[in-house]
Amino acid sequence: MRKTKISNKIIFISLTFLTLLLYWYGKEIANYFDSKWLVKYPKHYSFPFAIYTTTFVKWLINEANFLLFTFNDLTRFFAWIIEQPYKIVLAIFSKGILRGQGQDAIQIIEPLSWISVVGIFFTLALYTKDKFLIILVVLSIVYLAVFDQWQSSMITLSSIIIAVPIGVILGILFGILSYKSKILEKIITPILDLMQTVPVFAYLVPILVMFGFGPVSALIATIIYAMPPMVRTTLLALNNIDPQLKESGLMSGCTERQLMWKVLIPVSKPTLLIGVNQVIMLSLNMVIIASMIGAGGLGYDVLASLRRLDIGGGIESGIAIVVIAIALDRLSQSFANLPTLSKKTQLTFYNKYKKIIFLLSYIISIYILGYFFTFFKFFPKELMINTSLFWEELVKYININYFDNLESFKITLLTFFMLPIKKFFLGIPWPWFIFVLTIIGWYFGKFKLALLCLVMSIFIVTTGLWEKAMITLYLCGSSVIIASIIGIPLGVWAGLNDRANKILTAFIDTLQTLPSFVYLIPVVMLFRVGDFTAMIAVILYALAPAVRYTAHGVRNINSQIIEAALISGCSQRQLLFKIKLPLALPEILLGINQTIMLALSMLVITALVGTRDLGQEVYIGLTKADIGRGLVAGLCVAFISIIADRIIKAGSNKLKNKYGIK
Amino acid sequence: MHKSPKLVCKNVWKLYGDKPKEFLQSHNYNPDKRIIEENGYIQAIRNATLEVYENEILVIMGLSGSGKSTLVRCMSRLVDPTVGEIFFENIDMGKLTKNELIEIRRHKMGMVFQHFALFPHRTVIENIAFPLEVQGINRTEREKSAMEIIDLVGLQGRENYFPKELSGGQQQRVGIGRSLAVKPELWFLDEPFSALDPLIRKEMQNEFLKIQNSLKKTIIFITHDFDEAIKLADRIIIMNEGRIVQIGSPEDLIMKPADDYVKEFTEDLPRERLLSVKSIMNNQKQPSNSLTVYEDEKIFSILEKVLSEGSVSVIDRSNNIVGSLNRETVSRFINN
Amino acid sequence: MKILKNKFNILLSFIFILFAQNIYAVESKDPIKLTLHDWTGQLITTNIMAEVLKEAGYNVELVPADYIAQFAGLQTGDLHVAMEMWETTGRDAIDEYTADGRVVNVGTTGMDAIEEWWYPSYMKEKCPGLPNWEALNDCAEAFSTPETSPKGRYLGGPVTWGGYDDERVEALGLDWEVIHAGTDGALFGELESAYQRKAPIMLWVYAPHWAPSKYDGEFVEFPPYTTECYTDPSWGINKNAAYDCGKPRGPIWKVASSMLKDKWPGAYDAVEAFTLDSNEMGNLVAAVDLDGNTVEAVVAEWMANNKDRWGNWIK
Repeated sequence: MRKTKISNKIIFISLTFLTLLLYWYGKEIANYFDSKWLVKYPKHYSFPFAIYTTTFVKWLINEANFLLFTFNDLTRFFAWIIEQPYKIVLAIFSKGILRGQGQDAIQIIEPLSWISVVGIFFTLALYTKDKFLIILVVLSIVYLAVFDQWQSSMITLSSIIIAVPIGVILGILFGILSYKSKILEKIITPILDLMQTVPVFAYLVPILVMFGFGPVSALIATIIYAMPPMVRTTLLALNNIDPQLKESGLMSGCTERQLMWKVLIPVSKPTLLIGVNQVIMLSLNMVIIASMIGAGGLGYDVLASLRRLDIGGGIESGIAIVVIAIALDRLSQSFANLPTLSKKTQLTFYNKYKKIIFLLSYIISIYILGYFFTFFKFFPKELMINTSLFWEELVKYININYFDNLESFKITLLTFFMLPIKKFFLGIPWPWFIFVLTIIGWYFGKFKLALLCLVMSIFIVTTGLWEKAMITLYLCGSSVIIASIIGIPLGVWAGLNDRANKILTAFIDTLQTLPSFVYLIPVVMLFRVGDFTAMIAVILYALAPAVRYTAHGVRNINSQIIEAALISGCSQRQLLFKIKLPLALPEILLGINQTIMLALSMLVITALVGTRDLGQEVYIGLTKADIGRGLVAGLCVAFISIIADRIIKAGSNKLKNKYGIK
Repeated sequence: MHKSPKLVCKNVWKLYGDKPKEFLQSHNYNPDKRIIEENGYIQAIRNATLEVYENEILVIMGLSGSGKSTLVRCMSRLVDPTVGEIFFENIDMGKLTKNELIEIRRHKMGMVFQHFALFPHRTVIENIAFPLEVQGINRTEREKSAMEIIDLVGLQGRENYFPKELSGGQQQRVGIGRSLAVKPELWFLDEPFSALDPLIRKEMQNEFLKIQNSLKKTIIFITHDFDEAIKLADRIIIMNEGRIVQIGSPEDLIMKPADDYVKEFTEDLPRERLLSVKSIMNNQKQPSNSLTVYEDEKIFSILEKVLSEGSVSVIDRSNNIVGSLNRETVSRFINN
Repeated sequence: MKILKNKFNILLSFIFILFAQNIYAVESKDPIKLTLHDWTGQLITTNIMAEVLKEAGYNVELVPADYIAQFAGLQTGDLHVAMEMWETTGRDAIDEYTADGRVVNVGTTGMDAIEEWWYPSYMKEKCPGLPNWEALNDCAEAFSTPETSPKGRYLGGPVTWGGYDDERVEALGLDWEVIHAGTDGALFGELESAYQRKAPIMLWVYAPHWAPSKYDGEFVEFPPYTTECYTDPSWGINKNAAYDCGKPRGPIWKVASSMLKDKWPGAYDAVEAFTLDSNEMGNLVAAVDLDGNTVEAVVAEWMANNKDRWGNWIK
């Protein structure tokens, strides 16, 4: 046992040493052997994946034909199916029921007024019986009215109301399919990986082309992005069901279908609801990007405000998204945790549906009141609040007074931290990098992982995007390091202190749901265009999991182990460093893993402030409507995150196995 | 007997809920159980007063939820009692500073846990040496002491294993070893054997007694298993719903159960194997009979003698006659 | 009272529709979809066009869309009209999508796009030779930041905009470094920041845009653009390199789906007839972005004041 450890150590040290050597002298060596290809992969050997992809997608859309209908007919048919319920919901919340089209349209029935929507959410919250939650939810909805975000919010809400159920239903179906068939699971899992890791920008254009321009395409993009966790949680929930329950179902004479829908699915409900919660949050993350392809709503407002440099406007709309997200998140979470009360038998119809009856009569009376007083229809303009000026002045104040301090801070960090990392990644010859990566894969996951690392990194090289991939690694790497340095201590703090936990949770929830576009421009104003700005934006977004997982890891240590340490005479400090941190390590690793995933997904957005990484390549693909270019660069990003994910997860599992904790 | 108290609990209460101290105060430190529950509090310990004597094995017995674990955690101040005082070697535990408490734990207390509570990221020897490590003792020295303990608990050759590579019984040996590392004066064992298989449990109980015979610690042992309590205890405390129901020797409990609750525990026991002659003899010293039995012999071992002879004299270990026993008494006892 | 009034309005509009249909023989009642982008000028042009089409009795719908991504929609006929496609930034897309005839170029809007290096007036003190480009090298240091020092820092547009600034710096032998912003939000964010602090900045600005009216400054004057400058190295100051001149200025085009012409020929003619000039546009944009009016209000005012002009478009 000891022996293998020592030899592993030797291998590790010598690999590190060789890597450093190659980083310092790589160029010289390459020059000496007159083989520049070592440092820079030759262009004419790269394989034109992008062109083939473009050609294929074009063929698919313009020519593919399944005898009776074309591929295009098929996608348009799907679009049509999704569009119908969307139209209804949109009518209820935003447009009202119309007759006719365009400006000739006549509103037959008005959409729900703001007071009615407050009522609906209030009733929903009532079911949870949580006073704090009821207040929170009502205040959130009122915020939308007071800050003049109503119209856009309702459009966004409508698309969430459609995207989430579709995502959930499809997710459960795919989850069940992969539960029933191992083969299907093997097919679906890598597809899910890609759905979660390929940047959305990369597949926006193909979706547009297939499903047409407008809210439906945006919905489909949202569903693609938000569905995977639902599939995963469904599968997880089904696999974790006590086999005895299944057996008892079978012994009661269930058919396979009855077993699924009467036993397995109801039993997994709590876990499934966690999945639903994930779908809601991810759908809200998509609001901005969806607005780029015609979803409109709050996302469009954010983009438009920033185009005008109306920072305050962007923040108000951005916070509206946060507010909706937090209200829906807390609501769905407390529905998931709702204790299943003993059912009272023989409830009268009235008692059973009391709340709904009240709500309906409330809405109808608001409609009637709306005819007489506009207050019940629209929130009065003179009561609305506008904070644009405040934010603008705030940024201006910081800019004028603190720019120089920020600048010197930035320069220090840039010269002593970021640039060395950049040089390191760009300096290592690519064959050596792939070799080391494969070895690491081997160490953590034997043959399978080694092969995965090898194949994926070779793909990246042959696309000719190696250099951009290295810049991606550098940006992602430095951001993750700083995010961990900030996030892990915060997480420890939250894990040790309940009050800190509450404050930090609210803080990181906001950071995660606040669209990055909102702070991208102020950050540019303070730090100028460049890698540093991108890094700040990435850190802000990717901080959350580092905090959350660390807190969870520190918090969830077996209480007897803590007592054992205390009775052994540990001081609080010793307890933290000798027991809590080492035991939380696997969890912290998973947190860092998630941080990496988020950082990579954010990098695509930071292309908007002028980075030169894969994100930029994806963005160019999008703005030039170059389907292949975007998809290939997107795949490279996906591969990087899959490699990182697999290696870290394998490492975390190794630790957990060693400790015997699961 | 050795009657100097090592640890004393005086009127200890533990309530869970919002501002329990104020609640107790406003109810004159003696609220009804019903009132406690109506006000949304959970009563974990109710007015516990007890003494632990030097070198004795005091077993705290009760079903789950009876408050026995909480009581022990109050004694070690892992949990702070709501009101009440606890004196350890005449020091008021409630008045200790954080550092004084740590000092006491580092030198005078040890604890074994039901689910072992081993540190999964440390090897056997690192686990056992842990209490020494946190005291700042250097590696060679603490590993030397740890090796002695490893010998004591019978884990030779496994010092570099990780806990998950050991069986349950072996894991608890590590737990026992760790709790003994600081040579504690007060040794807490919180249901140490209840997570083990019956056979292993028996083996561990015997080993525990062996260790105690050589070390002579003051022990507070928690269990929910009455057989185990009787086998190990010098004295037993029976707890029910946070309240101490009875304190006494095993024989006291069997012969004079304080209430039905205690009685229920003791009813189905093979009493002739548990009780000694002393507990049923009459105190009339009848010198007439030449046949004698010792007062601390278990009843089942003298049954035959008494039944065939009709009556015997009872003597103590110094051969003084202390009482007598006749056939009627014995047969009444058996048929009871 | 109010209810009655509403009802009356509805009735009126019914009559109006019937009436309107009688006046103009309109082709199809399906809505014509015009795309909205995220800059004010485009919102104004598009809204004016929409109002004009409405006056002509067409059904109109405004759809928010991305500048380039919209072409996919125009091609398939999901979208119909895009009112601003700049020669300077949209040329590649126009070429690509008009190739198979499913998207058509409907002619210029009458506005010209200017894109060039731009600096705020307060920098003239530090660099009196401006706006002549030959002064650039003398005051490169004044425009430098710690990262580029001693070279001057020029903030270029997103790489997707093209613009050949790296080549221009090389060809004209400028001691400047080109930093590419990722979006125009980032571009003008930096300008706003620098302007607040009166800090040095040189960047890519385009017009019509609100920036030249909000901030006081001017464009650098490079040797004027000719086609040869970009294609023929021997042209111009540097005999060995192309791009030794300023950026081209070019029209802002209107593009439409080929479906527009087939389905609503009258509307197609109206779109084709639409013109505005750059100055007029600049004023309208300023009325929105600087004076804080809504787009709708500004457009309504324009409609009221220019009845003759737009009347001609829909004849």
